[in-house]
Amino acid sequence: MRVEVSGLSKSFGTVRAVTDLGFTVEPGSVTGFLGPNGAGKTTTLRMVLGLITPDAGSATFDGVPYAALPDPVGTVGAVLETAFHPARSGRDHLRVYCRAAGLPVSRADEVLTAVGLATAGRRRAGGYSLGMRQRLALATALLGDPPVLVLDEPANGLDPEGILWLRGFLRHLAHEEGRTVLVSSHLLSEMEQTADRVVIVGAGRLVRQGSIAELRSGAQGAGTVLVRTPDADRLATVLGDAGMVADRGADGLVTVTGATPAEVGARAFHAGVELHELRAEATGLEDLYFRLTAGQEQFAAASPTATPEGAAR
Amino acid sequence: MTGLVRAEWTKLVTTRVWIGLVIGACLMAGGFAALFTGLAGAEPDGGQPGLPAVGTPQYEEVVFSVAANASVLLLILGIIGTTQEYRHRTATPTFLTTPRRGRVVAAKLVAYALAAVPIALLVLAVDVVVVLLFAGARGAAPSLDADNLQTLGAAGLVLVVFAVIGVGVGALLRNQVGAIVGALVYLYVVEPIVSSIGVLQPAYKWLPGGAVQAVTSDFQAPDLLEPWQGALLLLGYGLLTAVLGTFLAVRRDVV
Repeated sequence: MRVEVSGLSKSFGTVRAVTDLGFTVEPGSVTGFLGPNGAGKTTTLRMVLGLITPDAGSATFDGVPYAALPDPVGTVGAVLETAFHPARSGRDHLRVYCRAAGLPVSRADEVLTAVGLATAGRRRAGGYSLGMRQRLALATALLGDPPVLVLDEPANGLDPEGILWLRGFLRHLAHEEGRTVLVSSHLLSEMEQTADRVVIVGAGRLVRQGSIAELRSGAQGAGTVLVRTPDADRLATVLGDAGMVADRGADGLVTVTGATPAEVGARAFHAGVELHELRAEATGLEDLYFRLTAGQEQFAAASPTATPEGAAR
Repeated sequence: MTGLVRAEWTKLVTTRVWIGLVIGACLMAGGFAALFTGLAGAEPDGGQPGLPAVGTPQYEEVVFSVAANASVLLLILGIIGTTQEYRHRTATPTFLTTPRRGRVVAAKLVAYALAAVPIALLVLAVDVVVVLLFAGARGAAPSLDADNLQTLGAAGLVLVVFAVIGVGVGALLRNQVGAIVGALVYLYVVEPIVSSIGVLQPAYKWLPGGAVQAVTSDFQAPDLLEPWQGALLLLGYGLLTAVLGTFLAVRRDVV
């Protein structure tokens, strides 16, 4: 099932949260919905799911808006926030929505097992850890066995093990089971390892959409590389001759932009320059992400260190 | 729709709020019944007219209608039923499961109206048992004749309608603390002031409190509607809050 978003706009008072946003989400893949905090991701997802009425535009599931779906629970599963009554057990929480959706209540136990919460199901949800809450929210989304899953920052609050589990779970749902998965995040590194495609938004507008591979090749894999050498002058000259931008810092540190660590290492080796350190500060994709969304954070703050070079270009 | 109503019942019984409110309603009805029976016929020193004596029809009307005082707790039950969705943010999964939000509010109204019936019967039963035992001990247990059953029925109607009004008020205000405090201030501050200020008094009979008094025919009643008119007015208030609450729940963004 394909999700199509077109021309979505929404203002809250004088604040324009989302402006003319359009993108598509294809089945069988994980699509990352990426943008800094306050870029309008949550507002967009809530409009897609009919919880917020857009000022303009539409979002459809194979052509049908959410509110008109004959079987919403069996079509789209959504994890928007970890919302439970703290005094109700996780199992009872799920049973409520089984009843409302006309599903057998036994489905509650099945999804609890699927997300690894079977033993905690009868405990009050108020006592759950953040990771357990995320799992319960995911279980709620899976109740109707839907072909489409929409998740808003599902990795928030998960420990490294939980993130690894979530990553595998989402990729399994998309790649093995052919579901359509749309997952939002403000962390590029997370999306790089989970998503097949990304839709990048900044300040409520679409910035770029495409596969991770496309974006990476668009950035030519070149990012920011840090090199430490006792012979910084010569290295800077050598790299400059090769068309790279090399800035000399204190202590023999050279910051190279527009190159991969391998290219920098090769140039230094050929020129016979001794290196003490060679590492990537930001991948090409990270550079691109910073550049695309630079200055578009709603709460932009002065950076304690210099902004990555990419942002200034 | 049946599934949605059952979902609301599951929500109601899987937290413990309702137990406390039902116990409170029973204590309130039983307590007032005992208090009024104990004070019945007492002549204070000042010679003020006290409560009618045990064995008189007036006494029986008073002690059988006190159960309606517990309506405030059913009002709170209804308010919590709707506002908890916003307080604990479960409105999101609820409206995702049922995107036609009007059906959610309608199911809540039906679920709470039906759930209020056994609660009202229990509260009335406590009232009746206390009165029969205590008044019997004081020499004149009232019989459950047509008049007294009518009084009990009226009190039961008030209890059920207040649960429905609570659901509507909750859908209107959404803020749990605000809705409960607002309802209590209205019932115990605004209405008493309206009913005690001469200029405003004609308006009182048209307010929910005036309608309740008309239905249960308190013996000290000022100028009030007929009981059946009061019942209609009360149902009208239940319907009004329900329709307004549904209208707003459908239109407002769930953020």
